Amino acid sequence: MSRAESGPLTRFGVPLVVTGAAIVVGYLFSVGLDGYFVYLGMSAIVAGIALLGLGVVTGSAGMVSLCQLTFAAVGAWVVSGLNRIGAPGGFLVWLVCGGIAAGLVGVLVGLPALRLRGINLAVVTLGLAAAADLTLVQIQFPGTVDGVSVERPESFSDDRGYFWLGTIVLALCCLLVHFLRRTRWGSGWQAVAFSERGTAAAGASVRTSKLSAFAVSAALGGVAGGLLTGQVGLAFPASFTAMQSLALYVLAIMSGAHLIDMAVFGAVLWVAVPELLKRWGVPQDWGFVVFGLLGTHALTTGGNLGTAVRELWRRRSKEAAGVELTAPPAEVDVPPPGEPVLVVRDLSVNFGEVKALSGVHLAVPSNGVLGVIGPNGAGKSTLVDIISGFLPQATGAVELDGRSLNGLSPTRRARAGLRRTFQQDRVPAGLTVGAYVRFVARRRLSSSEITEALEFFGCPPARTPLRRVDVGARRLVEVVGHLLAKPKVLLLDEPAAGLPHEEHVALGARLRQVPARFGVSVLLIEHDLDLVRSVCDTITVLDFGQVLASGPQAEVLANPEVLKAYMGETELL
Amino acid sequence: MLQGALAGLAAGGLYAVLAVCLTLMSRLVRVVNFAQSATGMFGCYVAVYLSVHAGLPTWAATVVGILLGGALSALLGWIISTWLAEADIGTRSAVTVAVLLLLISLSFILFGNKPQPFHPILDGPAFSVNGVVVSQVTVVTVVLSVAIAVGCRALLGRTSFGLELRALSERPTTAELMGIPAKPLAVAVWAVTGLLSTLVISIVAPSQSNDATSLSMLVVPAAAAALLGGFRRLDLAVVGGLVLGMAQGAVAQVDSLSVVRYFLPFLVIVGLLLWSQRKEVWDVAR
Repeated sequence: MSRAESGPLTRFGVPLVVTGAAIVVGYLFSVGLDGYFVYLGMSAIVAGIALLGLGVVTGSAGMVSLCQLTFAAVGAWVVSGLNRIGAPGGFLVWLVCGGIAAGLVGVLVGLPALRLRGINLAVVTLGLAAAADLTLVQIQFPGTVDGVSVERPESFSDDRGYFWLGTIVLALCCLLVHFLRRTRWGSGWQAVAFSERGTAAAGASVRTSKLSAFAVSAALGGVAGGLLTGQVGLAFPASFTAMQSLALYVLAIMSGAHLIDMAVFGAVLWVAVPELLKRWGVPQDWGFVVFGLLGTHALTTGGNLGTAVRELWRRRSKEAAGVELTAPPAEVDVPPPGEPVLVVRDLSVNFGEVKALSGVHLAVPSNGVLGVIGPNGAGKSTLVDIISGFLPQATGAVELDGRSLNGLSPTRRARAGLRRTFQQDRVPAGLTVGAYVRFVARRRLSSSEITEALEFFGCPPARTPLRRVDVGARRLVEVVGHLLAKPKVLLLDEPAAGLPHEEHVALGARLRQVPARFGVSVLLIEHDLDLVRSVCDTITVLDFGQVLASGPQAEVLANPEVLKAYMGETELL
Repeated sequence: MLQGALAGLAAGGLYAVLAVCLTLMSRLVRVVNFAQSATGMFGCYVAVYLSVHAGLPTWAATVVGILLGGALSALLGWIISTWLAEADIGTRSAVTVAVLLLLISLSFILFGNKPQPFHPILDGPAFSVNGVVVSQVTVVTVVLSVAIAVGCRALLGRTSFGLELRALSERPTTAELMGIPAKPLAVAVWAVTGLLSTLVISIVAPSQSNDATSLSMLVVPAAAAALLGGFRRLDLAVVGGLVLGMAQGAVAQVDSLSVVRYFLPFLVIVGLLLWSQRKEVWDVAR
């Protein structure tokens, strides 16, 4: 089985071909369909672009946004305002301006949301939607009162032509979202939805990830609003109510709008459900009741249409991918450890009355592996948290290559060349192995470089989706990503947890080669003494938050104090 | 200005009661209930329908409406505590967004989207201060909000029932292992907040803009008030509601500031969130 990702031709060619095909189909629809369906289709296109935006913010980045149509209203406002004053450039330029303006408003609303998550953002956006609702009714859109209707571009001036323009804009927006999701931004959205700490540890800014998701979503909303204004000619507040924003949100959750095809399908539902109800003589308000019921169902069961369909598709072929660490790795020359590259002095932290760590000194040699061991609750993970910057209240000094890291955020420390992995699963399931490794590595990597590193650790191939990778293997993929970032030091927090015991030693043999192969020094926290013995030249033992012993492996492991702390007194008898 | 502020006090009392309900829900059953006021709205609308079309006396119709509001809320609570017992607060609250949508559109279907012909339950002035009239509605809602907050606090702090509720909210699994009936208690909290919000909306709705959307969106200023207490403290929630109502009333006196009035709850929400979360950095402890 090939471990490589698909080539650039497939990665760029296929989406472009699909977009071209969609535009052709749009043209065929625009000339072939009945006039009424062209009108309905246009409404679906507008909803589709708005849903695409919601897919980014709620689906990918995991935030609750309840004001998508408020952003649409900003776009509509800008388009009708520019039309009213006869601004140069024509409709298409105004449409882009509308999108940009909505994106900026998105940034403004998103700024307070940076440190807010989940439900607080929902409160903020609902508040904005409600306020905008009342305000729009009072001040109306420019040109609406005096009846100046928005001029469409000349070549798309009739309804059929405008529908085709709509499909082109929709197709381009889909293409944009598709490629954005494959950039660092897009990986950042997935990562921040899964874990903020994991995102920061990969050297990505949590702030940028959240804000870019919100801005892209708002900009798409703005484009939808501008397009709607061109369709109707005049913008009315009734098109942008808080109610409809809520319904779009529920629809986005229900259909799984983070998947592009599902956003388009959701848009078809948005138009088809009320239309069908109308044909059956049922009041159209039942449409929202249907959405409400389906949305409640989707939220309580935690599933959505898009993933359900995909699960059906995949079920036949594949099962979970794991680690294959059987064969011993090829021998390399292990150079002797050098001068300390990471030095920690007098590190202390208290949680309330509890002294979690006090006065800890340690040094990680360059080209070496330092093992940190100790019984449960000795403060090992706290130590990693402090060194990587997640506990700013800690005192003491952390120096990397002679440079002080004190006061730097986790993101800055990661960028400075100090990386860490987590004991818990912090790997976002929405990405492929390759995309995640590229995201974590933060530098240009060739496919062969990724393949080689994955093979070395026995990880699944780069194109496997992480959701099909078992937890033990995910944590090794995390290790691979951080190693490919070529940091100066990598802190590994129990990398073997989640692997079967017989593979611990095989992993150890590979970790021992890490300094030689990747040029990275390692601080290894581990419970498994066999693993530590096979990897570490020097060992530091923690007990009750203090350094109990430190030095060459044999010396430390023979220390009776260490044996007592580690094995318990009875074992010594 | 004073006249406006006192006129806004009725709305303030309404916000305060709803904020107390939101705070209780968030503390005790881990939900920010976006459908809090929509449930109340729906109960009131049914009451109006019963009194106008079915000829029930106003008081009887109102009682039925309040009971219905409580029952609706209990049903929602039962659904959430059955299927989302272990889910985080975000997922649980997102369900109530769908329910908010459902209740508003259902009321459009059943009752149309015009304001309803409410019969006021309370009418007329209670007393006047410096020539500024304070209505009975104002007095009752303000007293009610304070009474509910004090009552809930006493219940939670002094009774064994309250102790069980707090245990449930702080350590749900441990509480269940100790034999505290988690689900019935949670549903009871939902029912009580449903009853309270329907009650206070029935009192204030006749003298407010009372279309379905406006009444349902009362959850926004209520959330702003609840945020002042950080969704934890009942006393601050009441203060927040009353102050917000008075501020809105005062601003409403000036025509040029009407847009500010609409944005007031939003601005309060943003400001409070920024202040309260200025130190919190990470999504999980480790």
